[in-house]
Amino acid sequence: MGRPPRGLSHRSSRQKLLAPAAKKLSLHRFAFFARMSALPATTIATSPPSPPPVHIISLRNAGVCYHPLRTLFSKTKKEIWALRGLNLDIYEGEKLGVIGRNGSGKSTLMRVLTGIYGLDEGTITRHKKDTHVELLSLGVGFEGTLTGRENAVLNGMLMGKSRKYMTARLDAIHEFSGLGDFFDYPVYTYSSGMNVRLGFSVALETDPDVLLIDEVLGVGDQVFAQKSSAALKEKFKGNRTVVLISHNASSIKDLCERAIWLERGQILAQGNPADVAKFYETNIHKYTR
Amino acid sequence: MFLASLKRHKDIIFYRTIAGIKSEGRQRYLGYLWFLLEPALSTAVLYIAFSQFTGRSGPDSILFILIGMILWQWFEGSVMVGASAIKAKFHVLNQFNLPKYIFPLVAIFTNTWKFLCVSVVIFALAAVFGYTPNIYWLWLPVFFALQLALIIGITLPVSIGVTLWNDFQTIVSTIFRLLFFLSGIFFSVSSVPEDLLGWFYANPMAVFMESGRAIILRGEPPPWEHLPLAIAITLVFFALGLVLHARYDKRILKLTNAV
Repeated sequence: MGRPPRGLSHRSSRQKLLAPAAKKLSLHRFAFFARMSALPATTIATSPPSPPPVHIISLRNAGVCYHPLRTLFSKTKKEIWALRGLNLDIYEGEKLGVIGRNGSGKSTLMRVLTGIYGLDEGTITRHKKDTHVELLSLGVGFEGTLTGRENAVLNGMLMGKSRKYMTARLDAIHEFSGLGDFFDYPVYTYSSGMNVRLGFSVALETDPDVLLIDEVLGVGDQVFAQKSSAALKEKFKGNRTVVLISHNASSIKDLCERAIWLERGQILAQGNPADVAKFYETNIHKYTR
Repeated sequence: MFLASLKRHKDIIFYRTIAGIKSEGRQRYLGYLWFLLEPALSTAVLYIAFSQFTGRSGPDSILFILIGMILWQWFEGSVMVGASAIKAKFHVLNQFNLPKYIFPLVAIFTNTWKFLCVSVVIFALAAVFGYTPNIYWLWLPVFFALQLALIIGITLPVSIGVTLWNDFQTIVSTIFRLLFFLSGIFFSVSSVPEDLLGWFYANPMAVFMESGRAIILRGEPPPWEHLPLAIAITLVFFALGLVLHARYDKRILKLTNAV
């Protein structure tokens, strides 16, 4: 099992980061870039990792672009690059935190990692064949008229598990969800909290190679929030590769071994979570206009 | 590649279809009874409409219209619901890495189940009216399979088209409205002018309807000579659908404006 490299290495090629946007340089933007370049560009090198890390997914010069629909009577911007020029390695067994503001490309990155989106530029390499990457979801795709039990199986199948696999784990799901008799009631009778409980319990039983978590640590009421948060932290303890996205630096500091700061679809800083979080908190205002 | 992907996801498609059927059954008080009641009621409506107002009455013309109507409803209903299934399941597809043809296929199969229930009503009605099964009835499953292939073949490319381009939905509806009147649901082939017959049979749905009527009503062999063209058209749509799905599978969600 590999350990990721530690230490803060700040992007040195700032020009590259700004290149796509800098094409249309306005006065206002110029001032903004001037502020950005005032940031420290030092790289803190630390001791090399041992044993050598094993790659599980690598992104090279990755770019994802959205095209807003154009109509005959409206002129919209032709393309919006959510990720561009992104280089990222995810190592087997590591707990990676991704921090960034709204719109920095975090969710797009998650969809690229799961394989929902392809890249418009660059390459993605999954180093092991059939690497199963799953985004932790809470009750997405439930059929209201079907029971919790039926939905648990169907939902697990959407996550790539067989019907047999899910059926064998129904008792565990029932138990963890704490839904009691409601497990055999149609899902439309559930409160939103119960929906989340079921969704979380199903997701917990599907065992992906890489688990992606998007801001969902501790869901439901107080009792279930503690339970689910504890269960997720369990996942962080094992050998599973976990990527946690958040705009909240503290949970990343607590749970991850390595962190990256994503800004405008590129990595602005990466390394030790405490250092990245501190760097993020001190410099975040420079990126908000 | 498509076959490998289909094999991997066949269970999802199968159990989602069952779930869709269950789900429909549980939404109404009379539940699964509606799968038989609904076609029976629409048969009654058609009976009233066509026997009383068109002057054509008697079991022959009722079955004539019914066969055309149920085959058409199966076709149009499946393609329309199947084509909009990617947008309808946008939130699910944005969460799980699934091929985009899954939900169109589930919609088609759920609708096909309803068609099979309706066809039971038709067979019962045919028996009541004295149209007993003949040797050509053995061909009916083959024609059902061919029409199902046509439905899937057309839905695959159309599902990508309507998801990428909202205007396409309106265009497709218009084409379907046109075909509805041109497929011979309300008129027989004998009223089609000789020189237009080739065009009439270029529409696979007209071939399937005429085949169903030949087999059930007249105890005749279906018009074999028109089948190759219908199959060729199906294959062309199918191939186009596979190409479009392969091309857009990983891009379509960020190119659409569904929310």
